[in-house]
Amino acid sequence: MGDGTKEPKESYEEREEYEMSILDRISDKLIDGLAVFINLFKKDWRRRNQSKIQEWKLMAYALNRSPPALLGLVIVVVYIFFGIVGPYLASWPYDFFPVMYNSTSKLAPPGTNVFLNVTMVKNWHVIHYTTTVHYSIGSDLFGRDLLSVLLAGARTALVLDVFIIMIGPTFGIMLGLIAGYHGGAVDETIMRITDMFLAFPGLILAIALSAVLPGRIQNFLNYHAFAQTLVLKLFALQPRDVNNLGKLLAVFVALIIVWWPGYTRITRGSTLTERENLYVEAARAIGLPSRTIMFKHILPNIIGPILVMITMDFGGVILTEAGLSFLGLGAVPPIPDWGNLINQGAQYFPQAWWLVAFPGIVIVTVVLGWNLLGDGLRDILDPRTRRSMEFKVKKKGAAGGESNA
Amino acid sequence: MAGLGKFLVRRGLTFIPTLIGVTFIVFIIAYVIPANPVRAWAGGEKATQSAVELIKAEYHLNQPWYDQYLFLIKGLFTNSLLDPLNQVPVFTNIGNRFIVTFQLALFAFFFVVLIGLPLGIISALKRNSITDMVLRILALIFISTPIYVMAYLFIWVFFIHWNLTTLAGIPPAPHHQITHIPVIDSIITLNWGNFAEQVRRFWLPGFTLGIAAAGVLMRFTRNSFLEAYSRDSTLFLKAKGVPKGRLYRHVLKNALVPVITILALQFGGLLAGTPITETIFNLPGIGLYALQSVMYLDFPALIGVTFLYAIVFVTANLVADILYALVDPRVRF
Repeated sequence: MGDGTKEPKESYEEREEYEMSILDRISDKLIDGLAVFINLFKKDWRRRNQSKIQEWKLMAYALNRSPPALLGLVIVVVYIFFGIVGPYLASWPYDFFPVMYNSTSKLAPPGTNVFLNVTMVKNWHVIHYTTTVHYSIGSDLFGRDLLSVLLAGARTALVLDVFIIMIGPTFGIMLGLIAGYHGGAVDETIMRITDMFLAFPGLILAIALSAVLPGRIQNFLNYHAFAQTLVLKLFALQPRDVNNLGKLLAVFVALIIVWWPGYTRITRGSTLTERENLYVEAARAIGLPSRTIMFKHILPNIIGPILVMITMDFGGVILTEAGLSFLGLGAVPPIPDWGNLINQGAQYFPQAWWLVAFPGIVIVTVVLGWNLLGDGLRDILDPRTRRSMEFKVKKKGAAGGESNA
Repeated sequence: MAGLGKFLVRRGLTFIPTLIGVTFIVFIIAYVIPANPVRAWAGGEKATQSAVELIKAEYHLNQPWYDQYLFLIKGLFTNSLLDPLNQVPVFTNIGNRFIVTFQLALFAFFFVVLIGLPLGIISALKRNSITDMVLRILALIFISTPIYVMAYLFIWVFFIHWNLTTLAGIPPAPHHQITHIPVIDSIITLNWGNFAEQVRRFWLPGFTLGIAAAGVLMRFTRNSFLEAYSRDSTLFLKAKGVPKGRLYRHVLKNALVPVITILALQFGGLLAGTPITETIFNLPGIGLYALQSVMYLDFPALIGVTFLYAIVFVTANLVADILYALVDPRVRF
């Protein structure tokens, strides 16, 4: 777009003029880069999907013109960044308990310095050293620096968040597509099973499941060394915490079980109306397999509202997960977890207000970010509102009008 | 109204397989219980083997799965499933606690309607203005703030600083019991002293529990109002020259139809959302009972509570569906 006309083959296309801001240029570059990247794996992808790339650019322009959605995007990007590198940025490891060496480090208020005389065993050697811990935003029950635990907890939150959303809704969408497309007995069976799960309030089912599952999961992990290492790596935990993984993963499994049925119901509903369209009938007439029709033809047409729901549920998972660990069901110390920090602070409220306030602010910010982004996406993915936004974007007097793209 | 009768029958019929399915899920939850709770119920590590065997036999834990299922379902429907902690049938234990939870949900519902509806309507009337923007951000903050953070903020402000509530015990019910919900009874019997006590104890937990749902209702009301406003009928009224006040009254009437049905759903959601609120505000309701049963490995109680929650939730959905069919004949198809 704009001045960056490096591809001569695009020039035959009628060009629309937009007022470009710096953000638009950046997003253009990003999308072009993405297209080049995909082109590496799929031959000729870029040339054949030019209209798709154009549409993506227009979506990015709409996003750039919606400040709340941009704010949400920034928050989400920061959250993902800290979720990936957080544990390595933390100045103190999450499993180092200063309270063992100096009891004043327990629930130290923000801004205090605590002197430690550490004696510990490392690699079969007893080592002595002295150090000072600066608690910029206070410490928790074990004298851990709250900032470090928050950073490390970002990983726990992100991994749970991403994997729950990757598995639960995907499963739900697939079932919904199958039920809506095939109809009849298949539909009836799937929907009755979905109704059974929808009958339970999410939080209650999650509480019940995370109460009964830990034993089984811990057993499974103890017998599968590979799964054990994988989970430890994912959550950036030390090998000695392996016995605490059962409770953490119980929440994970519980939330997956809670999170799929809603998507099945929504997907089925929109599939039912979508499959009546002529293009589906045409695809069936030329003999395409149902799998292709469902996933390549129907799904892209109904994915918009579902994507919005997924975005908002990223926040919802964080809320529920932190709620469960607040109730003492999910992650247990020393595993760093935001909800668990609030649980510790709640027992000493209001003396240890920082243990409720700072994790609380972090959770609210992240959830707000996802919700803002979801709200913005709703406007952007809805073709009607997007078109109205594009009108505002267009330069006055530009040739061509709003013909294609 | 023939369509309505048919609809009710059909909707009622789908209720039955769901209920059976719920018992299956409850059973699966009970079935994956780790094996050690029996020892805990028998009295911990020192329990004799014979005591453990006795309890296993009492709860059919040494029987094949279908026998366990039948035992559990029979126990749930005849209220013969005993809570191993105090040897009282589970639903007898739950009965008293459900009143507390219901009253809490009632208070929360009051605040949901009081905050959500007017603010949503104002936000829609002043759409795309500064007021609207502020209200929308407020609604988003209500939705995004976890209940446990909101609760401690409110406790700090209203209890520690202004001391406008109490956080210990629950006030006794009034003498004359009609509905068995203390706050309603105290209004009916004009027992204002007791009413004030109930309000003083319950308003803050209710407010905390309701605030997220109020945010949802604000957004829903706003969208519903704007949707009703963009209909052709509104355009017609405008063309006819109807004054703004009367125009808005027409739009409001149309807009509130879906809002009423969402309210029934929200009441179910409030009843289900109590565990965290009850823990923080120390209210002995069924949410707290569920959490305590988790803590003490008291699985019959957990199963009973989960089952009850499912029944309440399904019933709320049913009521919402029926309400929707009543106010909007098109959904009966």
